[in-house]
Amino acid sequence: MNRLYKSVAPLAALLLGAFLANSAMAVEPAAAAPGVKVPANQRLILPNGLTVVLVPKKEVPLIAFSGFVRGGALADPPGKVGVGSLVAGLLDRGAGKRSAFEFADAVEGAGGSFGAAAGAESISVSGQFLARDRALMIELLADALMRPHFDADEFSNYRNREIEFIKSAKDSDPAQIIGIYGRAAVFGAHPYGRPSEGSERSLAAITQGVVVSYHAANFGADRATLVFAGDLDAKWMKQALTTAFGGWAKAQGPKPELKPAPRLSGRRVLLVDAPGSVQTYFWLGNVGVDRRYSGRPALELVNTLYGGRFTSILNTELRIKSGLSYGASSGFARPTVPGAFAIRSFTQTETTDKALDLTLETLEQLKHGTLAPEMLESARAYVLGQFPLQLETGAHWAAALADLEFYGLSKDYIEGYGPALAKVDLAETAAVTADAFPRPTDLVIVLIGDAAKIREVAAKYGPVTEMKLSDPDFAPGAK
Amino acid sequence: MSKSHALRAVSALMLSSLAAISIAVAKPAKPAAPTRVPGLDQVQSIALANGMKVVVWTDHDIPNIALYNWVRVGSRNEVPGITGLAHFFEHMMFNGTAKRTPGEFDRQMEAQGGSNNAFTSENVTVYQDWIPRSALDLVFDLESDRLANLSFDPKVIESERGVVYSERRLSVEDSNPGFLTEQVQATAFVAHPYQIPTIGWPADIQSWKIEDLQKFFKTNYAPNNCTLILVGDLTAEEGFALAKKYLEPIPRQEPPPPVRTIEPEQLGEKRVMVERSAQTPLLHYAYKSPAANDPQGPAINLLMSILLEGDSSRLHRLLVEEKKIAIEVDGGFSEGFDPGLTWVQLTLPEGAKIPEVEQALDAALDTVVATGVSDAELTRAKNLYASSFWKQIATINGKARLLGQFEVFEGDYKKLFDSPATYEKVTREDVQKAAALVFQKNHRTVGVLESPAPAAAPGAAP
Repeated sequence: MNRLYKSVAPLAALLLGAFLANSAMAVEPAAAAPGVKVPANQRLILPNGLTVVLVPKKEVPLIAFSGFVRGGALADPPGKVGVGSLVAGLLDRGAGKRSAFEFADAVEGAGGSFGAAAGAESISVSGQFLARDRALMIELLADALMRPHFDADEFSNYRNREIEFIKSAKDSDPAQIIGIYGRAAVFGAHPYGRPSEGSERSLAAITQGVVVSYHAANFGADRATLVFAGDLDAKWMKQALTTAFGGWAKAQGPKPELKPAPRLSGRRVLLVDAPGSVQTYFWLGNVGVDRRYSGRPALELVNTLYGGRFTSILNTELRIKSGLSYGASSGFARPTVPGAFAIRSFTQTETTDKALDLTLETLEQLKHGTLAPEMLESARAYVLGQFPLQLETGAHWAAALADLEFYGLSKDYIEGYGPALAKVDLAETAAVTADAFPRPTDLVIVLIGDAAKIREVAAKYGPVTEMKLSDPDFAPGAK
Repeated sequence: MSKSHALRAVSALMLSSLAAISIAVAKPAKPAAPTRVPGLDQVQSIALANGMKVVVWTDHDIPNIALYNWVRVGSRNEVPGITGLAHFFEHMMFNGTAKRTPGEFDRQMEAQGGSNNAFTSENVTVYQDWIPRSALDLVFDLESDRLANLSFDPKVIESERGVVYSERRLSVEDSNPGFLTEQVQATAFVAHPYQIPTIGWPADIQSWKIEDLQKFFKTNYAPNNCTLILVGDLTAEEGFALAKKYLEPIPRQEPPPPVRTIEPEQLGEKRVMVERSAQTPLLHYAYKSPAANDPQGPAINLLMSILLEGDSSRLHRLLVEEKKIAIEVDGGFSEGFDPGLTWVQLTLPEGAKIPEVEQALDAALDTVVATGVSDAELTRAKNLYASSFWKQIATINGKARLLGQFEVFEGDYKKLFDSPATYEKVTREDVQKAAALVFQKNHRTVGVLESPAPAAAPGAAP
């Protein structure tokens, strides 16, 4: 059953998922049904500033962890985009008493998993072990965060492979990487415009020394939080974590600052040439809203209706009614300061303008139309009905509580959400539609496709800048 | 998870919790992963009078239910001219019945808080719904309606053709790995319909007719060709009562004809070369392999885990880390009703010398056939299997998927509960035997995808 062919409905959900993942910020729980409670948990702060949350949840013999160190791509030094990502990838490639192979063998030998990745604002770590291997799990996690080797050979091998991976992604899945071009075009020099994973060019210029300095400046107990959920004994965990992490010093460098990026007015087009491509992949976006956005419940409902589920306006027009695309979706990344709003879809090269026109019409319709009351009810039922499925396992709860910790939110963010959704009315949905969704005339449009065939079409939508998919950057003329 | 199995799972682990009280234990003893799977007493099944089997696993952990309807039809049931029809049909099952207009299925389900999906493989088509408990009656109404009363609107067929072609462009035509996999699979089989790509060949996507759909529906969507799995916040009595009310009235039909073709033995390596613009070349091996229910299945899965799963796996270690001639290794045993393929798929760095890579890969596979695997490697693979199993068991969705897989491919959902113990019993000798069975050069198809030799334009792209 390894090669099941996935299909149908899902693309809306799938694209939205990809959207959030690419934005590399902690995925937030979508909504909470009235009555859904955060499981009992213990939160403690060690004397060195490390925050720890423990969530006993004993249905299967597993313990999941989810945590973060503040910084991420935000802390990349000027001109060294991707350092945070290399640091994240190298944490387990030699740490403590283990070489890279020994570390992987220790994790996988126990049937565990360990992953780390850089997002725009943090480096996140997550994994899962059989409960009987809890001591090993804590030892490995402490080694990776506090005692990574950043060995010279491992560094260059890993960096070179990351460069090849970007090329490979361009060969296999333009839909997956289009958001990187989109965010670079919308945010420019702002940290949210940086490709967290780096680009082929930027990675090639990073040295081992830069990676070591990044770790010293940004890794420390005072910048980190670790959440464990699953078949755990809180008392044992507290003692073990205190022993393992008690000696972790504070981060040496200043906390990187973050200012909001301005919303863009007017329309411009970035055309990324992929010769021979039979489809045009498109991304339309602007600066959206932040994590603490007061209209969050109403926004979730409006986006569900616009591009967040299978019967959404976007998917209805581009897929269900016209057959132009396998799927279309929209979503808001809501990080610390306003992040990207984006619409994503694709269509065969010959129908590029038809699909783009239709997309812009749906946005026009959203901005100037009114929602039918039964649509609002449908979205409400959908968001509430799907919510418990997203907070079912220890791994789900570890990620959700780490997200609350990162943004400094209380558990009311989850528990109060259902009641808040229940109260949303049409006046509120109208307000967030006017406020958070861009006008169709204020958009960055990214097209990945065969430029020879769509160059003229592209010019209909605004002034065009052109680059090649094979260029070693995600923005034209980037250095 | 229901609270009653949770209790038993916890007590089984008490010992290890007490034993490992000190974190200073550097090398914890590695007992076998837990093999006892709770929950069998929470699962009940019945056969409806029309031959449809219904399985219910009660789990009150969250107020939701996962429904899977496994239909025993996939691209292996297709013939030239209608390739891709099983998958297209999967799309059409959302597109209207005698009682509901196209789109009603999704609109009604979403309005009551449910979402859905479906997938098609060479072997099966599976329909999935994830609903709040309150939508249980509706979901039975919707599922029975489309099995009993599906209708075909010619306009919708044309529009859906575009959707499926777009899916094909995304996953095959604009994707080098998708393109090569399709070519290798089509080359590996001379007779058996596993040669047919599940998404369908372009000309067939563009030309199948409404009569093809009607015939396909009548032949394959018999209730006696379906297995319904329900997991979550419902009792078996509730599930069976709704199944009797909504699904039992659908009449039994003549079962679909069996797939008669048996692939003749392959007597020499085949090669398929694809020239396409590629920064990173690809190398795929596909070996003829037994069916899903073969007793050697667990050994083959463990073998492939030893070779491919994770950074400490043998081929990753050798080809990616030591020799640096690949950037990624992937693959696995593709389990179906009939003998199929086991894949090793490499992504290579730009400028790779493919014969060199093949030589290194061949030597590594020869070694595993000649000398087998170590105890540590086997234990690692078993532990990875166990934790992956437990991760799936942690959700109602994972339970529904596993129950269906075991019921449909192994003939009995109860085998799910023996699965960790079955894997635990596999020996090094079993794994070596599996390697000797699978890695036979005469039984393989090699696929290579790389850019055509440059005619001009030096320095155009990196």
